[in-house]
Amino acid sequence: MKLTDEEKRMLDGVYGDVVAQALDYLVQFGDAFGAERFVDVIYAHYPAEMAIYKGSVEDLVEYSETGARVRIPTTTSTLACDLDLWSNAGCPQAVYELQKQVVPAHRRMGILGTYTCTPQLIGFIPPKGSYIISVESSAIIYFNSVFGARTNRGGVFTRFSAVTGKYPLMGYLLDSNRKGTHLFRIELDSDDLVTDSDYSALGFHIGGIVGSEVPVIDKIGTPDQSNMLSLGAALATSGSVTLFHAPPYTAECKTVEEAFQDTKPKEEHVVRKTDLINAYEKLTNITPGSKIDFVTLGCPHYNLENLRYVAQWIREINAKFHPDVRVWICTNRQTRNAATWEGVTQTIEHAGGLVICDSCPVESHMRISTCKEYGMKTPQVDAMVTDSAKMARYVGDLIGCSTALRSRDECLRSAVTGKLV
Amino acid sequence: MTNRAQGRGIVKGRVEGLALVCHKAFSFLGDVDMATGEIIAKGHEHEGETIAGKVMIYPETKGSSGGCVVLMSLAKVGKQPAAIILMKAADPNIVEGAILAGVALVCEPDMDLIRTVPNGVQISIDGTEGTAEWEGACVS
Repeated sequence: MKLTDEEKRMLDGVYGDVVAQALDYLVQFGDAFGAERFVDVIYAHYPAEMAIYKGSVEDLVEYSETGARVRIPTTTSTLACDLDLWSNAGCPQAVYELQKQVVPAHRRMGILGTYTCTPQLIGFIPPKGSYIISVESSAIIYFNSVFGARTNRGGVFTRFSAVTGKYPLMGYLLDSNRKGTHLFRIELDSDDLVTDSDYSALGFHIGGIVGSEVPVIDKIGTPDQSNMLSLGAALATSGSVTLFHAPPYTAECKTVEEAFQDTKPKEEHVVRKTDLINAYEKLTNITPGSKIDFVTLGCPHYNLENLRYVAQWIREINAKFHPDVRVWICTNRQTRNAATWEGVTQTIEHAGGLVICDSCPVESHMRISTCKEYGMKTPQVDAMVTDSAKMARYVGDLIGCSTALRSRDECLRSAVTGKLV
Repeated sequence: MTNRAQGRGIVKGRVEGLALVCHKAFSFLGDVDMATGEIIAKGHEHEGETIAGKVMIYPETKGSSGGCVVLMSLAKVGKQPAAIILMKAADPNIVEGAILAGVALVCEPDMDLIRTVPNGVQISIDGTEGTAEWEGACVS
C-alpha cells in the first residue's frame, strides 16, 4: 500500500506503539486484498466483546490497559446482558460480573458504551459518501443503503481502525462494488407490505436469492424507518447482503437504472405474495393455537415510536401478558431512558413485559453454549414468537426453540393468550 | 525433485511444517478444539489429529466470523497451525485471524495442492512471496 507521510509517522511509532502496531495490521490486511491506499474513517461501530465468547472481555481489558485510545467517534454493539435488569432477565451473576468489566475498559479508551445494534437510531448518522467502519450486519446495511455512507462488514480489525482512524480503500468503499447486480420487481398489493414483519419476510426472501451481491428492489411501498431497518436486517440474515438499493428511498440512486450504473442486471426476479407467505412459513414451526413461552420484539433494537406503539396497544385493552410467557422488548439504553420519561416503560412493565437494553435473546445467557458452560438447562425457551426474521432465524440454532414470525400486533396478542395466533 | 507452487502471498511468514491436507472447507469455529488444536469435527478425515504447527491445505474457510477469535485463542496457547494454504480466495475473517495469530497465509496457488501434495509431507511456505515447496514425486 502507498502510505502518506502521516501514515508513515504512525508506523514509525511517533504516536506510540499501539497506533504503530494497529496500522501495521491494517497494512497487512489492505495488502492482502490489493488496496492501494488508506482512507480516513470518521466513525466506528465497535464489537462490544461479549461475555458469552471465551476470552473476549479479558482481551479487551488487556488492550485497554496498553494505553490504546480511539481517534474517531466510536460506539459499541450489544452485550450478553442488560447491565441493569440482568437479574430480572435470568442472567447468571457470573455472566454479569464478567460482562460489566467492559464498561471501564471502553471508557478508558474513549469508546461510548451505547451497547446497541442500532447506533443509527441514537444519532450516529454519518453523511452520505463518508467512510466508516462498522460491525453488526443490520447496522452495516442501513449505513450503506439508507444513509449512503460506506463500510465493509467489519470484524475484529474494527479495533485497529478505531485507534488509527484508517481503513484500506477496498470492497464496498469503492464505487465499482456499489452497483446493483440483481433486480427484484415487487408485485404486491399495498396491504401485503405494511408491517415490519412483512418487510422482514421480504428481506428474507430476497437475501436467500442474492447471497452476497447487491439487490435493487423496485417498488417497496412507502416504508418508514422501522420498515427499512427490518428489511435490511433480514437481507443480511438469509444472505450476507451489505448494500441494497430501493430507489427512491435509499441514498445513492433516484431510479432503478441509476442503481445499475449502465450495466444490465445479472438476474431479474418478480416478488409475489406467495414468496412472502413462503418466507413466513420457513421461519415458523409452531402450530397456530399451541402454547408459546417467549415473545421477542426489538430485533434490531426498537426505536421510541415502536415502544410507544406497544404501550398504546396495552393501554387500549388494559392488557396483561400471560404469566407463562416472557415478553422481552429490546432497545438501547438511550431509547429506554426516553421511553421511561414518556411513561412507556412503566406501562409495558405493568403488563408483565421487560424493556431490555444492551442485549437481546440470541446474544444472551440463553444461548445453548453459554447454558452448558454455566450448568443451566437447555433450551431456556421452548416456543418463541417474534416480528423479526433475523431473530426467528437465529434462535432456532442458538437457543434451540421453535419459532413463529408474526406481526407486532399478533405477537402482542400471542403474549396475552399464551398461544400462537 | 523439488515441487514448487506459486500462489498469492496474503500473510507474511517463512515456515516449514508437515502438510495436513483436508478435502473439505474448514471452519475454525466448531471444527477444532480451541485449547488443544485437535480436530473435533465428527467424521472429519483428520478427526483427532492436531493442527498445531501443521501446514493446513484446504479449499476454503467456512462458517462464522467467530473463526478469527478461535485462531487468536489457539495462538495464545501455541497451538496454531504454522501456515494455511487456501485453494480459493481468502475471506477477510481468516485474514484477520492469520495476521493476529502470526500464521503465514497463501491462497489461490497455480496447482491443485489438495491433489498434488501428499498428506504428512514436509512443506515450506513463504507467505510474502506466495510460494510452497516440497520434495518428492507429485501424487495425483
